This record gives sequence, C-alpha cells and structure tokens, in this order.
Amino acid sequence: MTALHEPHIACHIEDLTVSYHEQPVLWDIDLDIPPGVMAAVVGPNGAGKSTLIKAVLGLVRPVAGHVRIFGEPVARARRRVGYVPQRQSVDWDFPATALDVVLMGLYGRLGWFRRPGRTERARAMTALAEVGLEDYAARQISQLSGGQQQRVFIARALVQEADLYFLDEPMAGVDAVTEAAIVTLLRRQRDAGRTVVVVHHDLQTVARYFDWLVMLNKRIIAQGPVSEVYTAENLRAAYGGQLALINALDLAGGGEARPGA
Amino acid sequence: MPELSHTLVTVALAAALMGTLAGVLGSFLVLRGQALLGDVISHAALPGVVLGFMVSGSRDFLSILLGALLAGGLAGLSVQWLRRGAGLKPDAALGVVLALFFAAGIVLYSQVQGRPGSAGLQVFLFGQAASVLRTDLMAMALVAALVLALVLALWKEFQFITFDAEAARAQGLPVSALETLLGVLVAVAIVLGLALAGVVLMVAMLIAPAVAARQWVDRLASMVLLAAGFGALAGVAGAVISAQAAGLATGPVMVLAASALVALSLLFAPGRGLLARLALRWRARRALHGRQVLAALHGLELDHANPDHRSEETMLDAYLGTRAAPQLERLAREGLIRRERHGPEGRIHWELTDAGRARLGAGAADSDRSGA
Repeated sequence: MTALHEPHIACHIEDLTVSYHEQPVLWDIDLDIPPGVMAAVVGPNGAGKSTLIKAVLGLVRPVAGHVRIFGEPVARARRRVGYVPQRQSVDWDFPATALDVVLMGLYGRLGWFRRPGRTERARAMTALAEVGLEDYAARQISQLSGGQQQRVFIARALVQEADLYFLDEPMAGVDAVTEAAIVTLLRRQRDAGRTVVVVHHDLQTVARYFDWLVMLNKRIIAQGPVSEVYTAENLRAAYGGQLALINALDLAGGGEARPGA
Repeated sequence: MPELSHTLVTVALAAALMGTLAGVLGSFLVLRGQALLGDVISHAALPGVVLGFMVSGSRDFLSILLGALLAGGLAGLSVQWLRRGAGLKPDAALGVVLALFFAAGIVLYSQVQGRPGSAGLQVFLFGQAASVLRTDLMAMALVAALVLALVLALWKEFQFITFDAEAARAQGLPVSALETLLGVLVAVAIVLGLALAGVVLMVAMLIAPAVAARQWVDRLASMVLLAAGFGALAGVAGAVISAQAAGLATGPVMVLAASALVALSLLFAPGRGLLARLALRWRARRALHGRQVLAALHGLELDHANPDHRSEETMLDAYLGTRAAPQLERLAREGLIRRERHGPEGRIHWELTDAGRARLGAGAADSDRSGA
C-alpha cells in the first residue's frame, strides 16, 4: 500500500498552479488545512478562490502541484469529501424536487446500475431535516427561495457524511436568517469533528464565523488561525487598495483604532 | 377512415419508434440547453448519407445510415474542437459546423444526381413515409430497444450530469464519457428518424415533444415518458397523414403535429399554461374585496401621517397583488374614494373620502389609536 503523504492534514496542497489561456490564475499555492477547523478562504474578486476549490477537487486541471486529502490523492479520497458549488451554477428550473436533489448526493456512492431505495431516501430526509427543510422534500426546486435552494445544496453534501466539506460562497445572496442558520449547521459539523472550508465573500463576518483563515490573491497571502491572520497588514497585502474601510473592521492586534471609537 | 393496410401499420410503427426515441433523447438535450446540437447533427448527416450511397450503391440502407451516424458524430466532435481549441462561442461553433457540413452535403448530393437509384436520396431531405418499407423494422426496433435500455440503466447518471455536471464530477462520475455517450445516443436517435423526418426538420422532433411535456409535469421521469408519448403521437400522425397524399413530405407534417402539441401545452397545461395563469390572475382579482382596498388606502394615510394622502393606482396594484381598477371604480361609484390626477406626469391617484373612512368605521379608529 502506498505511503500516505501528510495524513494528519485534512487538505494538503503544494506548488499548485492553475493557468487559463497561459495566464496564471493560481500560482505557487502551498496550503495546509488542519482537521476539525472551520476555515474561510477570502480574497478580492478574481483572486482564484473558486478555482482553488475546483482544482483541489479535480474539476480544473492544474499545471503544477499536488493535493492530498488526509494523505490520499483526491481520486481515492472522494468518499470523504463533500462539495457545495455556487448556487447559480445550476438551472433551478430543472424538473426535480428538493428530495431528488439531495438524493443525487448519494449517486457516487451507489455505483452503476443501482437505484436509490428506502435507505437512501431515509438518509436524504435526515439531511433535509438537518438543514430545516424536511417539510419541503416534495417541493419543486424552482419554487424554493434562494436561501432554501442553498440549503438544499448543503443537504446534498451533508448526505454524503464526508469528513471534509468545501462550500463555494454558500452565504452569497441569502437573507440574514438563512445565513445564521447555515453558520449554525456548519458549526455543528465542525463540532462533530469534521473539517469545513468555505469560500466566504463577506470580510465583516469572518472573525465571527470562522476559526481558521486563508487569504488568497492568486498566491497565498497568509494562512492560520483567524486571530493571527486577520490583521490590517495582511488585508492590505491581499486586497491592495481595494479596501477603503480597513479601519472599520474589527481586527486582531495591529489594527488601527476605529473612527469614533 | 383509411384501411389499416400492412403498409400503413408498418409506417405507423416505425414513426412511433422514431418519435419515442426522439422524445426521450430530446428531453435531455433540451434540459441541457443543447437543442441546437441536435440540429447540427441532423444537418451534418446529409454528406454522410450521400457518401454512404456513393460507397455502397443505392440499395444498402444500412451503409447510408452508418454514413449518417459517422458524419453526425464527426460534426459533434468538430463543434467541441472549435469551442475548446479555437475558443469559439457555442452558437458560432454550432453555426459554422452546421453550415459547413450541410453545404458539403448539398454539393455531394448534386454530384450524384443521375446515378442509378439517386432519386431515393431525396427522401432524406424532408422525410418520406414510404421509405420505411425499405428499412428493416425489426432492426430499427432492436436498436431503439438498446438505446432505451441504456437510458434506463444509466438513468441516474444522465439525470445528475444534466442537472449539475460539476457536482457529478466532484463525486467521481466520469462526466465526459457520459456526455459523449449521451451524444452518441442522440445521434443514433436522429439517424433512425432521418428517413421519416428528413435532415432539415429532424431537430423539431427532438425539441417539440420535450418542450410540450415540460409544461405538464415536474419530475424528470414523467417528463421523459410524456415526451416519448408526444413524440410517438406526432410521429404517427405525421406519417399517417402524409401517407394519404402522394408527394407530401412526411417531415413537415410531423413537425406541424408536434408544434400543435407544443401550442396546446403552452395554452392548456395546468399551472404553467397560459390559461391557467390567466385564471389565477382573474381569481385573485375577484377575491380582492373592497374592504381590503379601503384598508390599504387608510394604512398608507397613517404611514405618511397625512389624512389627505393620495396613493398612485399602480402602487396599489403592486401592494394588493392584482389589478385593483375594477374595485376602485366600484368604491368610487359608492363615494367611498376619490380619484385625482397628480404628479408631474398626471398619473391616477386615489384617496379616501370621509364616507370611506366612516365605512372602515371602528376598525379604522382602532388602528389610529394603536398607531398601526
């Protein structure tokens, strides 16, 4: 049996480089995400955050670098990884109910020629209950609100009972109540020992929601516990001149005083 | 009522098979937004048909169909190459390939005019019911059964890659291989229908039954089954009707039948249909009571802390969720509200009269006190 490479790290990335039309979108990415954290990946638009997740999962081919999930190549560790893509990557007018979509989370596990049966339906209903949508199981996905659609996507990942979850902007475009609900259920996963990695769009809430932080702008700017990484210096390095209100953020250690504070 | 001759039965069966396959595969094509790819494969089949004829001699239907399949497949691959390799947008790649292959087909077709048996090729432009007699119905049924069996066996995989190909790939499904297989099945469905529907209009048999079916049902399985039924119905209707008149091409009649199904579905389907939506709006208008309108006007007065507040009519429509004009006219006739033109564009506004306030009565007084 081949030796595991960095088995105690949930997600180990080295030298990862992704190019698009000969332009580097991600370059020289060295990233280690320890198990059991709730990590945020932040960076300005075009920083390569979604590309990073896709490259890790093998949806985009890197030109350099390697990825290991709990020590194994991704192709072998697929059972242990759940993925929640961006909500708008899908046509929600597709003829399916919420339960149908969650069941699809089990298709990889079922294998060829097997149909989802009673066990699978029960597990899908449990996942829907975990996101608070058990009453919507038979609802058409086109009739769900944006926040409900997002939660259905999360349930589809949860039904896999993975050890590591990647979510791409799960809280973009949802109302405050749904956002709080999503954070709560992700925290429950983290507290149960799972690892959660979220591409997050809102700097204001990073320190409140997450305990691990990765700052990215084509290269890794900083990574580590939120309390150490969420500094004005790192934000400036990641966002350049794009952040007018660094002062207004609640920063660790070397942050400047807030105006009027 | 035409007699059920052996010919007619054969024609009907072939058309039913072809329509069923087109409905099933067309459903996936439409849901993936790739209806035009079906058009490209159909048109691209023409040079394959002519080459198959040139290579094998006129009597060999099988090699003609094989030529069609190969040409269609090559066209599909060309579209991929143009998109990935040359970075063409989807519609440009589709247009280029369709035009190229079809033009080549027409040129080849004109070259073989005058050869023995070439008159039979015209069938492939717009379809001809009688051409079915030259095909082996058993072979066609066998191929159709194989295609349907594959769709059934790979049902959940096809469903997943149609809805969310990325998530499917992330779970380890071989998405590219599955998409290629789906494309091949589409090409087979097209080729089987070419003699009946013709290259020019075959795409409509892929799209129309699926679009019609989508209006009625909300699950993929139901949609595919219904599309199969619609496809078979349009196919049989087209084939049987065109067989009655000599010289009437089958493809156009099938397409007219399929389009009639689409029109009927868009009009009459419960929920999504036009009539259903109109009925819903009419019911909402009828359910609107005068009291709700008065209460809305009064609420707005309180919000603006202005007893003479005028509210714009279209704003009231938006709040009440329906066209309020009939109710507003009625209330005005009873003297409970008053109409005015207001604002720089002179739009219609409404305000409560004292009589209207009195009609709201104790309820209004209560809301005043609680500041609602």
